[in-house]
Amino acid sequence: MNYTFKWSVLWTGQSGHWLLQGLATTLELSALAWLLAVALGILSGALRTAPVAPLRWAAVSYVEFFRNVPLLVWMFFWYFGVPPLLPRVAQDWVFNHSAEFWAGTVALGVYHGARMSEVIRSGIQSIPRTQFEASLATGLTTLQAYRLVILPVALRLIVPPGTNESLNLLKNSSVALTISVAELTFQTRQIETYTAKAIEALTAGTLIYLVLCLSIATIMARVERHYAIPGLISRTTPAG
Amino acid sequence: MMRTLALVLALAVAVSAAPAAAQTDTLEKIKSSGVLVIGTRTGSPPFAYVNKNNEWVGFSIDLVEQLVKPSVEKAIGRSIKVEKKESTPPTRIPLLTSNAVDLIAGTMTDTPERRQSVDFSYTFFYTGAQFLVKKGSPIHGVNDIAGKRIASQQGSTNAKILREKYPQAQLREFPDQPAAFQALLQGQVDAYTNDGIQLAGLKVKAPHPDEWEVVGDFYSEEPYGMAMRKGDAKFKAAVDAGLKQGWESGKYFEIYDHWFGPKGELPYPMSPQVKAYLLKQIGK
Repeated sequence: MNYTFKWSVLWTGQSGHWLLQGLATTLELSALAWLLAVALGILSGALRTAPVAPLRWAAVSYVEFFRNVPLLVWMFFWYFGVPPLLPRVAQDWVFNHSAEFWAGTVALGVYHGARMSEVIRSGIQSIPRTQFEASLATGLTTLQAYRLVILPVALRLIVPPGTNESLNLLKNSSVALTISVAELTFQTRQIETYTAKAIEALTAGTLIYLVLCLSIATIMARVERHYAIPGLISRTTPAG
Repeated sequence: MMRTLALVLALAVAVSAAPAAAQTDTLEKIKSSGVLVIGTRTGSPPFAYVNKNNEWVGFSIDLVEQLVKPSVEKAIGRSIKVEKKESTPPTRIPLLTSNAVDLIAGTMTDTPERRQSVDFSYTFFYTGAQFLVKKGSPIHGVNDIAGKRIASQQGSTNAKILREKYPQAQLREFPDQPAAFQALLQGQVDAYTNDGIQLAGLKVKAPHPDEWEVVGDFYSEEPYGMAMRKGDAKFKAAVDAGLKQGWESGKYFEIYDHWFGPKGELPYPMSPQVKAYLLKQIGK
């Protein structure tokens, strides 16, 4: 390979500033989308196990529709497809108030909500049916049984696959660059444009994603141990 | 966990510190494979695009097929095929340095920064940045863009100029031309800036060409060149010889006429200054 490495491009000029800006945007985008995804995931995951058929169908439609279309298409859908439905004045307003960021957040959140939903459903369905029946027998309503018994246990069970899904969400936030959101990957490309040093810029981006993901994985491993229910989820993996 | 991280970092350092392998001799590579791989565009009419009949064609592609290919064939003494690959502004230099393609022939501007990483052929086209707007738009040039939403192509030289010199504009950078143009069509942005010739090409292809206009003086200089791996003098000589031959024989102007002449895909007569600029490169 005929290539001269020049790592100093990462800290000279504006590169450092751009990387930080990109990192901040990635975190902001991912955090908001994650909240949306978890909310939608819990709601539709719970509905998929609900004892009322129409609610189950609604949840199934949401999950199958959103998880089976590529994320890139959803990005274009929320950015190019939705705003024209608004009145002209509202359109101008959203276009002047970072429409691309919000379109990206919704696209990422709704898409991962559908995937999160399956994770949560698997958690709920791994709880023996007798627990639900026992809660009803103690006088709780269905809603209370979900809120006080089923979901608290299910959410503890799904920490590992939930972490997996969250890491995917963080990495998938890079797709938002296609609708001009200046997140981390966008900024690494920016550095490449200015310096023509693609490998250095991509390496910097890769290391930042790696460190971010490893930190989240570490935190989630602690959360998992902290909230484990003795007897139910006793054999947690030792700290590594 | 920390041990894993340390291991990964050590690996990364080891990989990056590995000595750069021997330089590629592109002519040798083409001679043994029989294929000249070019990186070009799919959505930049009339330089390189996929036309209505689903053929990948364009001015830049014709220059390679009709001028560069014969010259390379002459240099290595065998007939070759030209293979096309999609390359975008962010990917084209990595594609070259990783040997995935041998020559970038699309709409790449020859800049001093890029010259530190790649070599450029003679300039084969000369244009400058302008704006594509809806007819009647208050934007008439680069001085009217403060506060306006301007789309550009990420990795392009004009995006860089706007960012540095006109920070009051709200710049929206898209990875490719179709997405940026879609944003303009729908009103997500007020104007789309790119090299004037590409905007003229987009306008012709738009659903209602009359609704759009290209405005403003050139606020940047954009000489297009073909890019190749740095320091490969023999290959560069072959590419340049092809272009030179084209200017000397007049073949280049026939190809130009085919695409930009009165009956061409995009009528765009060559100004005397541009012609003089191109010919000056070969000492005429």
